[in-house]
Amino acid sequence: MKNELSYYKEIQEFIEIQLKSNFSASNYRKLHVYWGIGELKSNLFQIINEHPNECSCALHFAQHIPPLSLDIFALITDGNKFELLILEIKLVKSAGLKEWSQLVGYCLVSGAKYGLLVNIDNGSSERLVQTLSNEPHMSHIQTIVHDKEREHLLGFMQWNSLTYNFEYTNLGCIKSLSDLCAKLISDFSE
Amino acid sequence: MNTDKAYLFGLIIGGGVFGNAEDYLRIRLPYKQWGSYTANPQRASEISRDIMGFLSPLFRNIYNLNISYETPPSGIWSVICEGDLSELISDLQSYNIQCEGDLRENVSISEITKSLVDDNLKRRFIAGLADTIGSTNPNHRRFTNEVQILSFELKGFNFSFVCDLCRLLYSINCLPDQVLWNHPNFHCTNNPYYNQWNKGFKLRVQIDQYDKFGAVAFKTKAKSLKENRKLQQQVHTTTPCPEREINATKSSVHPAEYDNRLPACIRGGHFLHNRHVCAVIGCEHAPYNAIKDLCAHAETLITPFPILCKDSAPAIEHIISNDKLLSDRTYNIGKYHIKPLYDTYKSCQTTLAFGNDTDTGYPISEIIQAMAFIIADEKELNGKRVKGGYKELIEKHLAVKPDLSVEIRIPDLLTPLVVIGNERGALIGANNPRVYKSLITIAPDNEYKLCVRPITEKDLRNEK
Repeated sequence: MKNELSYYKEIQEFIEIQLKSNFSASNYRKLHVYWGIGELKSNLFQIINEHPNECSCALHFAQHIPPLSLDIFALITDGNKFELLILEIKLVKSAGLKEWSQLVGYCLVSGAKYGLLVNIDNGSSERLVQTLSNEPHMSHIQTIVHDKEREHLLGFMQWNSLTYNFEYTNLGCIKSLSDLCAKLISDFSE
Repeated sequence: MNTDKAYLFGLIIGGGVFGNAEDYLRIRLPYKQWGSYTANPQRASEISRDIMGFLSPLFRNIYNLNISYETPPSGIWSVICEGDLSELISDLQSYNIQCEGDLRENVSISEITKSLVDDNLKRRFIAGLADTIGSTNPNHRRFTNEVQILSFELKGFNFSFVCDLCRLLYSINCLPDQVLWNHPNFHCTNNPYYNQWNKGFKLRVQIDQYDKFGAVAFKTKAKSLKENRKLQQQVHTTTPCPEREINATKSSVHPAEYDNRLPACIRGGHFLHNRHVCAVIGCEHAPYNAIKDLCAHAETLITPFPILCKDSAPAIEHIISNDKLLSDRTYNIGKYHIKPLYDTYKSCQTTLAFGNDTDTGYPISEIIQAMAFIIADEKELNGKRVKGGYKELIEKHLAVKPDLSVEIRIPDLLTPLVVIGNERGALIGANNPRVYKSLITIAPDNEYKLCVRPITEKDLRNEK
């Protein structure tokens, strides 16, 4: 019986390939994606130490975040700017508000702009569908931290372990991987 | 271009049919028996999940289109896209794709493939095509179940589409196993009187190759590929086209070689092998030297007559009376015992009978097959095919009646031999390489394209 951990690699690989493809197709400069599993702060420092040329732009951010245990996160950078993507991966019959709240919490605590709740081979509860469909602020969260505005964009997707492909749900603010890429390209171009 | 659009473009090019109204797009999924709810209700329900669970949110998200579907018992599904299509049409037009009618019949994918800038985008596009026109029917196998095939199937005459798709697969290391071109030289090699040759293209890829380098997004397709893969005991590799051996067999010149629907570079040509088409089209992976070698002895691989044409006796008589070259012949008609001819066949299967010299005459193997068709009981036939082996059938009948004979009509010139009996008939073309060589020329604009002019009585008489 496979557990959710055993799907991390294929999901990571798929997302990274799609991100890089979409950046190439947009004629944007080379994109770097570094993955960490588990504790965020120490993993971030390790990534920055190993790839200083590409990731030193994230050093200040890494110094100011609290220690936090996550499923997977990705540091996505073009060398000048970076964004953090948090993945909350579940292998449950139906992902609900509990799982969504977990992702929201991780994003708020870490300051990560992007978050995806991914359920493997299954969808979401009716309650989560209602919430995300009718209350856009649940997936597009704006906060003010130390007088600075922060934005968190979240989405819910389903991983199909047979086709090795994402199935979109249109739930949340990030509706597809190409949508996520378009947002990242916009961030990096600012 | 992005990864989601690449998939949708593949899907739309594979099955898209635009209506006259600007807001109508139907994506035809020609699954037939494989997707029919009467044949496989479980799979049909999974296809509907693929459409509504996977495709619907994708279309909604990327182009804000709503989709629904129709599924008749034939298994030809239609995904109906509703909403403002202008953004989608504008995207497709930016790749020189005109959104009119059945896209894959006339579309060129040469522009869109240029924008697939990496292997992943190519795979996404190919996945869209595979989900529409990629057939996973387990009958697409090579000789036995051991080599399972995914077959991209296309109707029409869009040779350049097939060539571009083949190149695209090649570029991601997914080497195609074979292309069956929609051409009479491949769909009816034996019989120029057979008109039902327009059966479409098949671009076949071994499942192991596709598994490694290709992709599908429909769960039903992925499941089906997995099931077919289980039929294999081993993993198989595909040899690149230029390195693969070429085994050509004889084919009849077909009048439809001049069909107006064929593209100009193909029209008027006779093709000795599927990769001969690749060479004429100019594919960089075509085995040019091997094709040149084949062309050098094309007269042994081409016949202006049927190799073997089996039909009812009246249909055969009709063919003869409608062809002046055949009807003007004087036939030496006689009853021939099957046994001595079959003994000749058993001692040497390449023997030529009733010819002028050692290089000419009618192949004994075709004569024996014709005889088997003639003497078979109704229950021993499946249409025009003998059930089981023709040799077994001949032996079975000879065991009961050793002096069994059939009527053979031998023409005064080497036009087809006629075998008649049991209200059935057959025509068998002769080997006549010296005469056939005089019919073959190379097209002035393409050194690989062979053209074969019609044979005349004068050609045959001069040789005689």
